[in-house]
Amino acid sequence: MATRTGGVTDRDHVVVVGASLAGTTFVDTLRRRGFGGRVTLVGAEPHAAYNRPALSKGVLAGTDDLADITLPPLSCEVDERIGTAAVALDQDRREIVLAGGDRIGYDRLAITTGARARRLADLGAADPGVDETTFRHLGDALALDRLLTARPHVLVVGAGILGMELASACLDRGSTVTLVDRQPPLHAQLGPYLADLLGAAAERRGARIAHDPGGVRLRATADGTPIAELADGRRFGGDLVLSAVGCLPEVEWLRSSGLSVEGGIAVDTRCRVSTTVVAAGDVAAFPTARGPRRTPLWNAALEQARTAAAALLDGDAAAPLVPDPLFWTEQFGLKVRVSGPMPAAGEPTVVEGDSPVDGGLLVGWPGEPGSAAAVNRRIPITRLRALARPENITT
Amino acid sequence: MKLTIDRDRCEGYGLCAEAAPQLMHLDADGELVLDAPDVPTSAAVVAEEAVRVCPVAALKSR
Repeated sequence: MATRTGGVTDRDHVVVVGASLAGTTFVDTLRRRGFGGRVTLVGAEPHAAYNRPALSKGVLAGTDDLADITLPPLSCEVDERIGTAAVALDQDRREIVLAGGDRIGYDRLAITTGARARRLADLGAADPGVDETTFRHLGDALALDRLLTARPHVLVVGAGILGMELASACLDRGSTVTLVDRQPPLHAQLGPYLADLLGAAAERRGARIAHDPGGVRLRATADGTPIAELADGRRFGGDLVLSAVGCLPEVEWLRSSGLSVEGGIAVDTRCRVSTTVVAAGDVAAFPTARGPRRTPLWNAALEQARTAAAALLDGDAAAPLVPDPLFWTEQFGLKVRVSGPMPAAGEPTVVEGDSPVDGGLLVGWPGEPGSAAAVNRRIPITRLRALARPENITT
Repeated sequence: MKLTIDRDRCEGYGLCAEAAPQLMHLDADGELVLDAPDVPTSAAVVAEEAVRVCPVAALKSR
């Protein structure tokens, strides 16, 4: 039996913990590359993997049900333990422990457990015992979908990508919406140009937006639904209060493993954690010029999962990952897709078009690497990527 | 295996065509064209990857 340059053989058992996009792509890639050993996929969510970005879009719009957004089942040979969370990792014995106590031995382990919604409580910005509602899983989307039928006034805390998409969906469903944050919507995520474009669209659609650099605190009230208080003392309430303040890596199950888990599982440029462990997706912190950083985005999960599988098979012979930042959002009647690093500073060069609403816009920010964005304009990712090359953005 | 496109969902990102260039491409207008909607067994895994990478769940296999 051939030993691959990564040291793994077809006698080895590969265990993958986390069965969403990164985990299923990892398994798929291993098999496509000819790995013939045993593979076990462990997933905490009780249903098949689905397209998570659709939750804040089609599912909330009421146009998608689970069947519309389910990812294709793995047709390759794989033992699936779906609906069972891993609760611990024992690196010395090379075992993972499942809820209920079962232990599964591995020769190689892939950590693809993703992330969970961050709460204001995690940031120390909530009164003790506040009932905080977040949005991350299918169940969260279905629950919110039901609540929106009563057209509640919705208060969204956090005007990042998710908060803005939630606000947009709630407005589309006939609710009124207030957004509060420490910053104007999306500035930290996208930079001033795209942030202002989307913030203005939100206000045109009727979203009420308030921010204060001193931050937001979730306060408990007598009736149970919390209210948000800005540092300047302004208070905002809603029939429904949603926290959308980012995500945290799903690493609680690794606390006793000996791995460093703060800020995500640090990987190398081939998504390796050690000689026997790889990690990919929202849980993984990839090397950047500013140190290890998580990039909880669709395309990052895909490319990291493929890289991790290649590293497991080929070791140092695998190509290191050069991340290809891709990002898209749909909110307040605007569809935005971006290639290249964000946030983008300053005013971009307009490449094509003159209005985001009428015919759409293509804009670019020169740089090494540059960024390019399309607003309400269908453009293949390959073209957008090419547009982000500095020589294609003439100032 | 058979591939189908939900035209109402498809936004023409083209990640599918990158994953499975032997099965599909974007035309000059950025519309997805399936070159092999009836997927040969040998390409089934590639086809599944194309379905999985679609950001808007517009490509389906059955």
